[in-house]
Parts: sequence; structure tokens; C-alpha cells
Amino acid sequence: MNSNPIVKGKLVCVALNDAEQLAAMQAEFSQPPYKAAPTQPVLYFKPHNTWNTEGAVIEWPADEAAMVVGASLAVVIGQECCRVSADDALSYVGGYTLLHDFSLPEQSYYRPDIKGKCLDGSAPVGAAVVPADQVADPAALTVVTQVNGTTVSELPLSQLERSVPELISIVSRIMTLQAGDVLAVGFRGERTAVQRGDRVTSAIAGVAELNNQLAD
Amino acid sequence: MKHARVLHKGVELDITVDDANRLLLADGTELNEADVTWLCPVKQPGTVFALGLNYADHASELAFEPPTEPLVFLKGANTLTGHKQPSYRPDDIEFQHYECELVAVIGKAGKNIAREDAMDYIAGYTVCNDFAIRDYLENYYRPNLRVKSRDSLCPIGPWLIDKDDVGDISNLKLTTRVNGELTQEGTTADMIFDVPFLVEYLSKIMTLQPGDMIATGTPKGLKDMQPGDVVVCEIEKVGALQTHIVSEQQFYGDKY
Repeated sequence: MNSNPIVKGKLVCVALNDAEQLAAMQAEFSQPPYKAAPTQPVLYFKPHNTWNTEGAVIEWPADEAAMVVGASLAVVIGQECCRVSADDALSYVGGYTLLHDFSLPEQSYYRPDIKGKCLDGSAPVGAAVVPADQVADPAALTVVTQVNGTTVSELPLSQLERSVPELISIVSRIMTLQAGDVLAVGFRGERTAVQRGDRVTSAIAGVAELNNQLAD
Repeated sequence: MKHARVLHKGVELDITVDDANRLLLADGTELNEADVTWLCPVKQPGTVFALGLNYADHASELAFEPPTEPLVFLKGANTLTGHKQPSYRPDDIEFQHYECELVAVIGKAGKNIAREDAMDYIAGYTVCNDFAIRDYLENYYRPNLRVKSRDSLCPIGPWLIDKDDVGDISNLKLTTRVNGELTQEGTTADMIFDVPFLVEYLSKIMTLQPGDMIATGTPKGLKDMQPGDVVVCEIEKVGALQTHIVSEQQFYGDKY
């Protein structure tokens, strides 16, 4: 089983946090099964069996024809964080790195997506954690993802519906965060289709890089 | 055997509980229950799976058709707390209810486990109370983490009882009592997807690990909870888990 020296407790991801995607989906949100747009961050866990590392080869799930990947800034919590304000939130961050979320294509956001999101080894995090004091404003960062050397996705974090400090504050009022918990704050709405053997690289210029490959 | 974990004079201890409900260390030393704080009986909690709508009567109570495929969600380990510990009611809500559930604890790693082999991967059972706050439900990854992953809102215990000490789990009585009054009654016979099915289903998706837990859902019988209430969830042959409800301010104290 995979292990990861960075993630120690919980790995919480935020879906539907790309403001462009949210705007484009408003009509869909008013229909069943949603009936209304989300009023809160849409959160999901990547459990222990998914945790993986820089350089890891990602297993292709048996019987599945398609996979997608999304990349997110990964906020590594540095100290216990319980019911903090957005103003204070960044002082609880230990550092920043990147996360890849490999999953099955998502058809619906209505029910928890255990089948799609809990594949073994599907959440590499790493490699290095950049200390929080070296990143003045996470909203100024851009996550760029390449597949086999071609840029497929760019997400400036100024485009997040909810900012890093807002998310830390809201999540810390649901669950106490501990040192080594990781919050993946947002993915580009359209995730990227990948094929067997693809090399997936994400980077935040000057901060972090994460390289993975799909198994043949 | 019943295996529990307690905090005693600041030290976490692994203990067993005998048939006379004596708390015993490995060397036979008996602890006084008044001197211990009960902890989650699983030492290193892994992934906590929980089932929604897994009893037909509960599904109809919530006006849902029984599912044709398990409705599985995940819970953070921050939700877990022990027997006789506080769980809190958020300030700004109308309806918070208990959910008495049989929990199967995984004892051996496995992937693609066949239904007929599933019980080989179970270490034992415990009871959880998978509280829900209906005010916080939204139709995104429902039941969402705001409902189901709150601090302290999944008490579990009192102990982990070995699988063989329970035997057949296909018809165990579940009851919940609030302040002594019987408010929920059912049997695991009414479970839609049983433990062997769930082990097969989940292990087809992902590798199950020792310490992973499957909370198997709750039967009919919802009732609102208020600070001051004492809730006891009991499952025949497994145990009775007691929780007292406190306010959000009482629970968080200085961090409120």
C-alpha cells in the first residue's frame, strides 16, 4: 500500500470551487437532483488507500475505460486549527504543495462518489512542501497541468469561488484540522481525460511541481 | 473477547472487558471505570465508511426509495469519540438525530474480496451513533461532510468485540433510548446490503485495510436531540454505547 510522508490525517478536497465552472452550471443546479446551487463548499475525502507520492505510477482500475485528472494547490496544515477566522487562517498553514486527483469521470455531484474518487493510489501529494512564509498570497498562484508535455489546464487561484483562507475557516468549523491534514482547495472545472501511459505534470511556478504517470 | 481503549491517568491503555464488565489490563490488573475515559476502540482508525438508507423502513421514513446500490459516504476520524463522552448539538439548527449502527471493523487487508470470503476479513464489531444534522443537508455529495463529518458526532464503542463472540449478525436487535425512553427499534435482519455484500462491494473499488470500519446504517426511528439528553445505542451481543449531548459552546469551550 502507498504511503505519503506529507499527509498524516485527513485529505479533504473541494469540488466545484472554480468560479467559471460554477457560473456555467447555474442552470443545471436549479434542476433535479440538485434543485438549488450549493450554498457551502462541496467537500470530499480522499481516504488513506488513495494517498500516493511524487513520481508514483498510477494504477489503471480494472474494467474502467476512462480516467480523468485534476490538479490542486494542496494546503498542508501546520498546527491544530479549530474554528478559526478567515483573517487568521493562513497562520495555521504549514506549507504548500500540489495534489493530483485521479478519478473516474464524474457524471453527477449528487451522491458521494466513492467509486470514482477512492481508487487505490489516486491522490499523489508532493513532493516538497514549501513553507507557508515563502508564499505571501496563495491567490496569486497559478496551477498549470501538462499531459505528455502539452499544457491542458491552467487555473489561476484568483479564480477560486472561495479563497484559501475562507475555505480553511469554513472547514475548521466543521472538523478540527490537525498538523498534517491536507486541504486541496480547488480544481479546474473541466477535468482532463488521460490515457494509459500518459505523463501528468503539474506545477506552480517557483513553488511546487508534481510528476506522475498512468500505468500502461 | 471485548477490546477497549481508555485514557487512565493521562496514559492511553489497551484493555479487555470481561463478562462481569470488569476493565482489565493485560496483566490482570483491574481498573475502576470511574478513573477512565473511554476512547474509540480502534487504535488507528482507517477509513470510516458509512451507509445511508440501508434499512428499508428508514428509507421510507425519509421518503426515499430503497437504493439499488449502496449509498456509501466517508467520515473523518475527527468524528470519532468514545463511550460516555459528549457529542454536541450545533447552535443554529432545528433537527439533529441519532443513528444506531452496527460497525464491522476490518482486520486484514484485501482487494477484490468475494462475498463468501468476506467474513475472513472482519476482526469484530462495535456500535456507533452516526449523528446527522438535517438542517445542513445539501444535494451535493449528499449526505455532505458538513452533516456527517463534524467533530465528536460519531461516538463509537464501548469496545470492539471479536467476530466469533458474536457469531451470526443477520438478526441482531438494535435499540436506541433517549433519557431512558425507547425511541428506535429494529433488527439487522432488515439491512438491505449486508456486511459480506459491503466488503465485496467496497473491496472491488479499493483495498480495505485493518482499522477500516463500515458503519452499516440505521433503522427507522428519528428523534431530535437537545443538550442534556443522554442517548444509548445498543446492539444485541455487541454492546451499549452511551453519549451525552452538550451545546456547541460547552463542547468547544475556549475555542467557541
